[in-house]
Amino acid sequence: MSTARSPSTRRAGVPAWKRWLFRVSAVFVVLPLFYLPAYFHSQELNRGTKGLGERELGEIAVGPWSVRFAEWRVEQPFRNGEAGYAKSFTLALCDTCAKQVKAAYLRVGKPRNLRAAGSIFFGSPYRQSVALPIPERVTADAELWITLEGWDGSVHQAALPLAEASPITIEWLSKRGNPT
Amino acid sequence: MSAAVPAARPAAPKAGRARLWFLVHSWAALPLWIFMFFVCLTGTIATVSQEIVWLADPAVRARAPSADARLLGYDEVLAAVNRASPESVVQSISRPVKSQFALSVRVGNPDGTSQSIYVNPYTGEIQGTDPSFNFRGFVRALHGWLLMPFTNGFNLGWYAVSLLGLPMLVSLITGLVVYKKFWRGFLRPRLRFGHGARVFWGDFHRLAGIWSIPFILIIAITGLWFTVQAVLGDLSISISSEGAPPIVAREDAPYTPDGLPPRIVSLDEAAAHASEYLPGLQPMFVSLPGNAYDHIVVAGRGAYPLLFERLHVNPYNGKVEYVRRVADRSALELFTESMRPLHTGDFAGLWLKLVYFFFGLLLTMMVLSGLLIWTKRTAHATAAMLRRREEEPDGSVAELETEGAR
Repeated sequence: MSTARSPSTRRAGVPAWKRWLFRVSAVFVVLPLFYLPAYFHSQELNRGTKGLGERELGEIAVGPWSVRFAEWRVEQPFRNGEAGYAKSFTLALCDTCAKQVKAAYLRVGKPRNLRAAGSIFFGSPYRQSVALPIPERVTADAELWITLEGWDGSVHQAALPLAEASPITIEWLSKRGNPT
Repeated sequence: MSAAVPAARPAAPKAGRARLWFLVHSWAALPLWIFMFFVCLTGTIATVSQEIVWLADPAVRARAPSADARLLGYDEVLAAVNRASPESVVQSISRPVKSQFALSVRVGNPDGTSQSIYVNPYTGEIQGTDPSFNFRGFVRALHGWLLMPFTNGFNLGWYAVSLLGLPMLVSLITGLVVYKKFWRGFLRPRLRFGHGARVFWGDFHRLAGIWSIPFILIIAITGLWFTVQAVLGDLSISISSEGAPPIVAREDAPYTPDGLPPRIVSLDEAAAHASEYLPGLQPMFVSLPGNAYDHIVVAGRGAYPLLFERLHVNPYNGKVEYVRRVADRSALELFTESMRPLHTGDFAGLWLKLVYFFFGLLLTMMVLSGLLIWTKRTAHATAAMLRRREEEPDGSVAELETEGAR
């Protein structure tokens, strides 16, 4: 800042917008300092040292099995390219079922069959995640359906209200004027 | 640039034009110098961040037990990791482009954490795990997007940094325009010591500039591509010719009578299938299926070193079910996907990284030398020009202002 204000440069006729450009560019250099905490928080979240996600919902029974379920980030749905908006969730399979579960799926609304079980989770049995598409016309009373498919062919399901899984998504929906 | 601004010459139209270009040159990056300096410096460090980690942490080095030691296959590496931590799930194995580096094996642990394990490529010894502070990732994030979070599309930091490609490009072009017969600098390089700081930094700025023409051009253009990429991304415009990601057919993933996962093909088998399919491919990266309907992905460099060729192998029957070769990319994709490796220089080994590091340092110093020259000279030239504008206003100054705004 001092350079822009020094008498010699003012004498040189540095226009005001250039002085402002300099100040803005200096702000960009300092800005990373303010983002340090958020950066390290993200790093820890990705590494899993902060738990399953920013908001863990605890154990959810799915038939004979159970999963620990979490909202990955307490943030509004993000724009996922041409696919529209999406919201990330994570889960961990129970110790006894880690080897028995073939695949885990998540969907807004009850799936009609296994082939329409929704988005499939990716990752290890200990922490897997999905970017769940949030359709345009989701209502605030919508439910998330977790489907677990076993290697033995069995299929088990559980539902939880979207309002419980992600209150911030409900806020976002009401802001967008979706029916409640 | 002093040669191009003969202060004593009468104000002929040609000299006026040269002076105009010179002022555009001196204003293109100058108001942004501190930001430009920061980005050039962090970018320079980023090119060798992996090597800095190599120097600091013996665990990432690939020590060969003997000169004729054989590299382990992927299955041997997998077995070594499974022996060391039987409960962890291996997700991927990557073999760095530089033979001096240990293998990096990505695992998911029972406590929900994930980490990279460094494995000796010759002995399978577990040499260590990645520290919680990832220096390489940090420098990249600092350089590329000022550590800002990506919550919804590309962030402000990404745009601000990548847009610096514009003043950089303008600086290069105007610099060459005002540096009359710059090619003479190649034949008769001049770097005068002992004539004071102004002369030295002026010589340095010109000399470093002409020798860095290709490098500056690459960095500026690839940098500007990152802006275009962000705009396309944020507008949800896809230029990809690749369809939806392939998945394993339901029929191929069998149910098992005992309710436990079936055997899948070994990684060496998968890599062999890949090499059969694409002879000459050197598998650098193998990822294990992320779920029951996911493929084993084998990727490596073929004839075109900038881009990876990728094959998806069905884990149940070993068939190669999807291939993404360099030849499968459209001309536009070849161009756009080459931008990032060109920007970072990480595709040919240590020597290229050192070349990038050297020119990165030069570029960083050019920001500083440009600033030094300006404080000593251009401030006076601008003052002189503005004095003339007050005396006899004409259109050229308005033109200068708009040019300078770029």
